[in-house]
Amino acid sequence: MSTSLRTITRRQVLAGSAVSAAALASGFPAPAIANSDPIKIGYLPALTGPSSSTGVGINRGTELAVEEINAAGGIDGRRIELIVRDTQSDPTKAVNAVAELTQRQKVAIIFGPLNSGEALAATPLIARDKVPMIHPCWVDQLIDVKKYPMAFRNAPTNQQIGGAANQYVIDVLKLKKVAVVSDTTGYGTASVDAYVPMLTAKGAEVVFSGHIDAANPDLKPDMLRMRSAGADVIMPWSVNAGFLARILNTRGAMGWEVPVVGQTTLGSGQTKALLEKPEHWNKVYSNNFRNVCFSKDGKLPARAQEFVERLRKAKLDMGDTLLWWIALGYDAPRLMAETIKAAGSSPEQITGYWNKLKAWPGVYGDITFTPELHNGFQDDQVIMCEVNSLRDGAFNLAPGYGA
Amino acid sequence: MIESIVSYGLAVGAVYAMIGITYNVMFSASRVFSFTSGMLGMLGGVLGALFITKFGLPVVVGLVLVLACGVPIGVITEIVTVRPVLKSLEQHLYVLSTLAFALMVQQLVAIEWGTDAQPFPRLIPIGPGWLDQQFWLPMLACAATIVGLEFLYRRTLVGRAFVAIAEDNYAARALGLPEQGLRVASFALAGIIGMLAGFTGAEMLLAFFGNQSILNFYGFIPVALGGMGSNRGAVFGGLALGLFQQAANFLLGGIFAAVAVFVVFIAILLVRPEGLAGVSTTRRV
Amino acid sequence: MTVTDPPIATEVASAGRQARFEIALPWLALAAAGAGLPLLDDSYVGVIAQRACIYWILVAGLNLVVGFAGQIAIGWVALLTVGAYTTAVLTAGTVTSAWDPYLALAASGLGGAVFGGIVGLPALRLRNFYFAITTLGFATIVTQVALAWKSVTGGGIGTPGPVFPWPFDPGWGFYYLCFGLAALATWMTANIAASRFGRALVAIRDAEVAAEASGIARPRWLMTVFLFAGALAGIAGGLFSSLQSYITPDAFTFDLSILFFIAILIGGRGSILGPLLGTIILTVLPELAAPLVAWSTFLYAALLLVIVLAVPGGIADLLDYRNRRPMKQHRVIAPRPELLPQLLGEHRDSAALVLSDIALNFGGVRAIDGLSLAIRSGEIHGLIGPNGSGKTTALNVISGYYAPSSGQATLNGIALPFKAPHTRAGYGIARTFQTPRLIGGASVIENVMIGGTCNGEGSFVESLMGLPRHRRDEAYFKTAAMRALETIGLDQLAAVRADRLQHSELRFMEIARALMLRPTFLMLDEPAAGLSAEEIRRLGELIKAISRAGTGVLLVEHHADLIFDICDRVTVLNLGKVLAAGTPSEIRMHREVVIAYLGA
Repeated sequence: MSTSLRTITRRQVLAGSAVSAAALASGFPAPAIANSDPIKIGYLPALTGPSSSTGVGINRGTELAVEEINAAGGIDGRRIELIVRDTQSDPTKAVNAVAELTQRQKVAIIFGPLNSGEALAATPLIARDKVPMIHPCWVDQLIDVKKYPMAFRNAPTNQQIGGAANQYVIDVLKLKKVAVVSDTTGYGTASVDAYVPMLTAKGAEVVFSGHIDAANPDLKPDMLRMRSAGADVIMPWSVNAGFLARILNTRGAMGWEVPVVGQTTLGSGQTKALLEKPEHWNKVYSNNFRNVCFSKDGKLPARAQEFVERLRKAKLDMGDTLLWWIALGYDAPRLMAETIKAAGSSPEQITGYWNKLKAWPGVYGDITFTPELHNGFQDDQVIMCEVNSLRDGAFNLAPGYGA
Repeated sequence: MIESIVSYGLAVGAVYAMIGITYNVMFSASRVFSFTSGMLGMLGGVLGALFITKFGLPVVVGLVLVLACGVPIGVITEIVTVRPVLKSLEQHLYVLSTLAFALMVQQLVAIEWGTDAQPFPRLIPIGPGWLDQQFWLPMLACAATIVGLEFLYRRTLVGRAFVAIAEDNYAARALGLPEQGLRVASFALAGIIGMLAGFTGAEMLLAFFGNQSILNFYGFIPVALGGMGSNRGAVFGGLALGLFQQAANFLLGGIFAAVAVFVVFIAILLVRPEGLAGVSTTRRV
Repeated sequence: MTVTDPPIATEVASAGRQARFEIALPWLALAAAGAGLPLLDDSYVGVIAQRACIYWILVAGLNLVVGFAGQIAIGWVALLTVGAYTTAVLTAGTVTSAWDPYLALAASGLGGAVFGGIVGLPALRLRNFYFAITTLGFATIVTQVALAWKSVTGGGIGTPGPVFPWPFDPGWGFYYLCFGLAALATWMTANIAASRFGRALVAIRDAEVAAEASGIARPRWLMTVFLFAGALAGIAGGLFSSLQSYITPDAFTFDLSILFFIAILIGGRGSILGPLLGTIILTVLPELAAPLVAWSTFLYAALLLVIVLAVPGGIADLLDYRNRRPMKQHRVIAPRPELLPQLLGEHRDSAALVLSDIALNFGGVRAIDGLSLAIRSGEIHGLIGPNGSGKTTALNVISGYYAPSSGQATLNGIALPFKAPHTRAGYGIARTFQTPRLIGGASVIENVMIGGTCNGEGSFVESLMGLPRHRRDEAYFKTAAMRALETIGLDQLAAVRADRLQHSELRFMEIARALMLRPTFLMLDEPAAGLSAEEIRRLGELIKAISRAGTGVLLVEHHADLIFDICDRVTVLNLGKVLAAGTPSEIRMHREVVIAYLGA
């Protein structure tokens, strides 16, 4: 459990320990935001449960950003109050939390959920309650300007991610026979369903596609099937480090030297820790993002370099997670603070500001929104990196990758 | 492909068999099927990873420590969840008390250790491929368990006392056998066997809190099919299950393999509720 | 089945208005709180309340399975999943044209019922732990299928849930739909609880052998309740999919199954109010403090352990203050045999129960070797012999628990089927047991009412809806049971929990239960064991009166005085064989009987 959450980010809403509906009903709605009241931002990470690795990583950046903003005086003298509700990777808890954040806490903005499974349930409800939301989930259908006019995405879409990976496999590595697999989560299945037609459209042959239960300890049968189908490359889509590590380990144990191209988690510290041999991390290329990778000269872009310094000073651990998660988490509160400072805190003001946002300089990515496009990440910011080049939380661009 | 089915199937089957034996040892002493069998298996892997990887202890020391931990856990199980229930009239409450205890431990592990499967260290650096030690280590452990139990039950006085308590509780007590002490000892023994199963199987299953449910289910199937209380039945059942599961994995893929195992299990039980090798229950009127 | 109403002055009837108000109070409070919730104008509370109502609809049904019938169905979330996906898929319009949400909800109920039947099928053959494991397997299977069947369920991506139209649109409108259905589910299950079906389920759970002797066929009753519980769970699932607005397989966790299961056990088995409170508590608990969310399952499990070890009866037990009132110390059982003709009916035909050449082996042991005897209406036939001579075994053969290796038992010439104990009630054969079989948690009068279960005419559905025939049945049961208790002399203890009774009172209670069947033949297995001399005397008079009223009695006993005192004929068994048969005076003088059994 994350114990580093401090008073500014945690708040017990209901006082007392009486277990009764009366206690539940005794909380009264928060007063209208007066000039010195804190600005409430709802936050729905999955800090525990099976899909918590993203949440734990992002959370580090978010907490740091909120701390910094508040230390610098907040937004025009008003503190940011981050109201955290751990969804536990469970959509039912996410639904309960949404109701509390929008109805009782009356937050100005909601950041999250951070996992697609929970976002699929939460987004329609947040839209129904007319609260602006920003989330970093990749599943394409989570953003829809008509259905969810107040929902914005500050991360790439599945299409962009898959597009970059597919392009690398077909155009750079020049491989034609592809095995596409995922775990059985919503994110995983959505990815495979989206990417198979994309690959076929680009002229590749999908010789194997499927969903594998991440809890299955033995991937040999599936890998052998991939090999006998003639696959030249494996493309796994999952945030489950154990699952990805098992793919790499099995590949190594089989002595099957094909490249593995896929989800960013392939490069996470958690995955690395689960490898049986360091060599298993060779010839593995994952998505990553230009702003947080070493460019050809071996240096990080200035913003990212400065960010890494700040993380080191704050003694935040990067080794067991990914830099871009922390960066994403760091960017979100800063964007929100800027928005409220510039435009105000009512839903129309916030969404109006966002609809006109152009190239907002984040550590993780430059975000641009238009009224028709609420996906803020740019195509060319999605790149491929070589995972075994990991140092200081960042990676080199993959070989053969254009600048 | 065949080597993979055989090596992995027999190895994971041996782990299931040992969990089945864990069920049996607890059942023989108390007529109670305990949900803590899977819990012990899970803890064997988690504690092993904790001692060897996190604390850096040598492999043998780690193994001994893990087995040693099985004793107090088994004893606590008996004292907290079994003894109070046996005294009451509603004996079937044991299902609930052992379930509650096992769940509490599992949640503790999930929260403290984490919900991701953590790596388990390589125990002996022998051989890749299908002769890898991760495969024959569980089989070795299973064989050692069976041989050890046979020796215990047939050659030692304590072992024969265990058998006496299991066969005819009243007669044994009438003879002056300390039923309670023997029961506690049985649960301690079950604790050791469960831990051993989890430890030797962890290279395949990893140190993962979710192993508890998996082992509870797949470890019970050998018992249900082989007849409750029969260790030999559990071994055959376990190995057969492991092979069947692996073959289904290959032929049907992971998701449907689980469905296949379950459907076959239910079908067999519906036809023969006492299992393939078991005896029908006796007089209840 | 007309019953004349003699004047009755008992604790039960005169408890009347006061007791009824006491019982109704918590329900009224809950109804008021639930109906008035929107006044709080807090939609967050509304969401939690919707969730509690939806969970309760499922738990109300599951309560009958787990709390009443005692089946350890741990993996019940499978049915929630089936219901949720059925409604969601039908209304989404991906597989068929989009259905009306209410129709889809009904379809969920139907699907849930079917699946409930499937999940319940193993319960007919498997016990306890085995059955629990199979339900866990079902839960896994359903989730896997939901993941794999992408074309229908959307696989891992899931599918959107339905939005109900006005007046049950999202928000308080939908809340009233959930609340209304929850209230309906409460009312229906409460009706079942107070019907012969509810009592029969509890009998199956706690005193299965006695239930069979009273004519309750376990398979049929279990199946009924699984179908009904499945239907409720399916409907709950449909509502769940609307609450969630979008369902994916990962919403149906094992933790939910545990929540449902534990809510029932915390609430107390055999109660409706208890599990309702349990469900509310467990739904609300994680919302009270954010840290509790991560620890919620741990807390549920810890609560379960505490309940099992300390208060197995759950909340219901804690609330049951009436049964904590001290009982009168020196109680006397005073039967009133003169009431028997009213209880058993006036004109009864004569009948004969004949055993011919029964032989029964247990493995290598010949328990009964060529037993023949005949019992006639109005006659008391004693069966005596040393321990292990086969007396109780013979009784069990007549009752149908054992099938003999040869020989037959006939009633008026019709052969009685063996291995079918639940058929005996239909033949008018009732019995008591060597060790009293009772439902400890139920009151004495409820225990006795079970004896007459087969005489009920109302169907399950009629009980569900509280229709007139159900009410007539209940009135009949109550008056008949009260009359039986008066006859036996236990009417003062009618409302007391059965497990508070003394051993001798329990023996008489069993006889009252047996008399509910208005039996043609009554078999008593050592009814005098543990009774005082005075009680034995009264027992003897009661048995004599029963036989005079036209019932044939088979009396298995060790108390030789009782046997010789009241029996018309006596058969002596030794080592499974008939040693002697005749009138009491003949037997008393019989040389071999004296040597083998009676002593000089």
